Amino acid sequence: MAAPVRCMAGSSSRSNTTSFQKKTRSKLVSIPGTRPSVRSSSRSNTTSFQKKTRSKLVSIPGTRPSVQNGQLLLSSGVSSLDYVIGGGLAVGTLLLVEEDRYDSYSRMLLKYFLAEGVVCGHELFLASARDHPDEIMQELPSPIMDEVASLKISEGQPQPSDPENPDTMKIAWRYQNQPRVQTALASSLRFGHYYDVSKTMEPELRQTAKCHSFYQLQETPVTTGSSPLPSPYHALLKSIQTVIRKEGFDGSTPQSKTRNVLRLGLHSLGSALWGDDVCCKDNPAHCHALSTFLYALRGLLRTSLSVAMVTVPSHLIQNRAVMGRIIRLSDTAIALESFRGSEKETNPLYKDYHGLLHVRQLPHLNCLSCEGPDTKDLAFKLKRKQFTIERLHLPPDLSETVSRVSKTELAAGCGTTATGNKHLDF
Amino acid sequence: MLLDVLQGAEPGGFILIQDTVKCTGRGILKCFINAALKRGEDVHVLGFEASETEVCAGLDRSCVQKLHFHKGFPDPLGWMCRSSFTVDQLTSQHITKLIKDSQHAKAPVLVIDSLSLVLRHHDPVVISQRLQVLRKGGDIKTIISLLHSDLHLHGVVGIVSQLASTVISVAPANNEHHAVATTTRRSKSGKVMQEEEYFNVSEDMTLSVQAKLRQHGHVQKEQKVAEADPASNLTFNLRLSEEERKAKEKLALPFVFSKEKKSALLRPTPGSGRIMYEPDANDDFDEEDPDDDLDV
Repeated sequence: MAAPVRCMAGSSSRSNTTSFQKKTRSKLVSIPGTRPSVRSSSRSNTTSFQKKTRSKLVSIPGTRPSVQNGQLLLSSGVSSLDYVIGGGLAVGTLLLVEEDRYDSYSRMLLKYFLAEGVVCGHELFLASARDHPDEIMQELPSPIMDEVASLKISEGQPQPSDPENPDTMKIAWRYQNQPRVQTALASSLRFGHYYDVSKTMEPELRQTAKCHSFYQLQETPVTTGSSPLPSPYHALLKSIQTVIRKEGFDGSTPQSKTRNVLRLGLHSLGSALWGDDVCCKDNPAHCHALSTFLYALRGLLRTSLSVAMVTVPSHLIQNRAVMGRIIRLSDTAIALESFRGSEKETNPLYKDYHGLLHVRQLPHLNCLSCEGPDTKDLAFKLKRKQFTIERLHLPPDLSETVSRVSKTELAAGCGTTATGNKHLDF
Repeated sequence: MLLDVLQGAEPGGFILIQDTVKCTGRGILKCFINAALKRGEDVHVLGFEASETEVCAGLDRSCVQKLHFHKGFPDPLGWMCRSSFTVDQLTSQHITKLIKDSQHAKAPVLVIDSLSLVLRHHDPVVISQRLQVLRKGGDIKTIISLLHSDLHLHGVVGIVSQLASTVISVAPANNEHHAVATTTRRSKSGKVMQEEEYFNVSEDMTLSVQAKLRQHGHVQKEQKVAEADPASNLTFNLRLSEEERKAKEKLALPFVFSKEKKSALLRPTPGSGRIMYEPDANDDFDEEDPDDDLDV
């Protein structure tokens, strides 16, 4: 499934001369969201051979190759979500988000996804039935460009223990320098941007991105003919297909300047406004409509440079079998469970969080295994500047060598006196 | 929050009042009609469940002419052609025509009394699409609708509630004069506010919100939390008094290094020597820790 993508990304740079590659390199440094600048500066004095291989994969702004399987990844706009689903969204795959009860956090995720596309200069396609796509576009959060570094540092440092605080523990010296366990999930390499939810994105920035939209209520019903799909899904699929063909995301017609990625955001698919009755009946008349659509969409995504985020009101879908099929047809599936309106809202256990995040499925791309978080017990909170996913409970450490970690470090420190100083207390 | 919803209905809103056989929501619906009339707005009522006299009873006399009642009550399905409005006519084109015919200065309020009858005779999917078209059409300021939630499948109630910007569900309270209204309001940005309130509808169709259940609930919950404290009912003492705590702090724990102890140990004593030793290739360095089995 990744073969067409990688070939397409690679073929352009291979056919070009070195002068072109210098151009792309300088571009890479300037574009945020590709690689940290430290890396790119060190790259400038390596051999030309290595430059070539690097630029072969990272020729599209806002993407990077996966550490595990070399898939071309792009950020979902929420860096901790990227970490949870294995580094990011692979190009050509579909992310399913099961909406929370009031669709507030799933909508937020969709906005992050689109905002990241705007910042990275990707093309967007937004389909919605409830609100006009332009309304959603206007609500995109504003990116935080300058404060990124300081934000990162403040969050990474462990808080120094406060002697006045009665809750601080007196701890034996051998445990004093143990690393603090981080509950927030984040990868060491920064990828994607942070956004300020309280501000909306400036219209100038928003308009730099090319956005195609599809609004269900304004579409005139088309005669589907022999198609197994009901009218709105058929029209949506046709519309996506047209955009992918016309803008050359399928690789058939070469794109004019640089290769780009299409981000598809499909809001609340399967709700009644899409003319689908999976939400109101246990035995829907078109029980295969949504799965047929997703199957066709997957086919389109696999053969093009595009990524889709689909939100589905799963709490309304009565038939579990339908929901199971939908999850199987997507590559990555996560579910949001908001505490709002449930008894968990007042539970002291959950007081720091806004909801739970369930990972339903992780992508298996070109291999049998998949990269996932070490724990499935995840919770999310929406802060003003960040949507974070954290481990709710830390798993018990069952390994036999738990208490010996610091000792081996100490021994190593004693052997090489110059480096091990920080482990020594006396 | 119920009063906020009653006063300033935002344009394009869809307020859904859910009731059951145990507690009627018609009182709140009439309060909403009355409040809209008092604001000087035109109100179109699609009445399928109650007659015009019943709906108008108790409303403000001075502005009743602003109320346009579309009679669907005598013959809701149009079997005898006695109604001016039937269930089938709930389409955006027809309603827009009705509203355009009466020529208002401002966008009017549409009241559907009740949506249950419509949903029972139509595909809920089609109805929800029509409601959405009406909402987004711009001809109507607000749609207010009553829904008897116990008459429909869970899924149907779900899709209609998902469409609504504000859902008010009424339930009986222990107190016989009041009922409880749970208001869930979804703002445009996606923020959700929820509140439970006691309410009472008076004779002249004004709504009085008596007491806030929320604070009440909080107190109760806090008490529950305190009761659930596992350390409260023990045969031994887990808590420390002030003196006990001081005594505990004085105690020097083994394997803990305070600042003073550390500096004392690190201070070089006069006359102490240093061992300079550089291991060479002939040195037999034991990789294994001989004390590995001792837990030190």
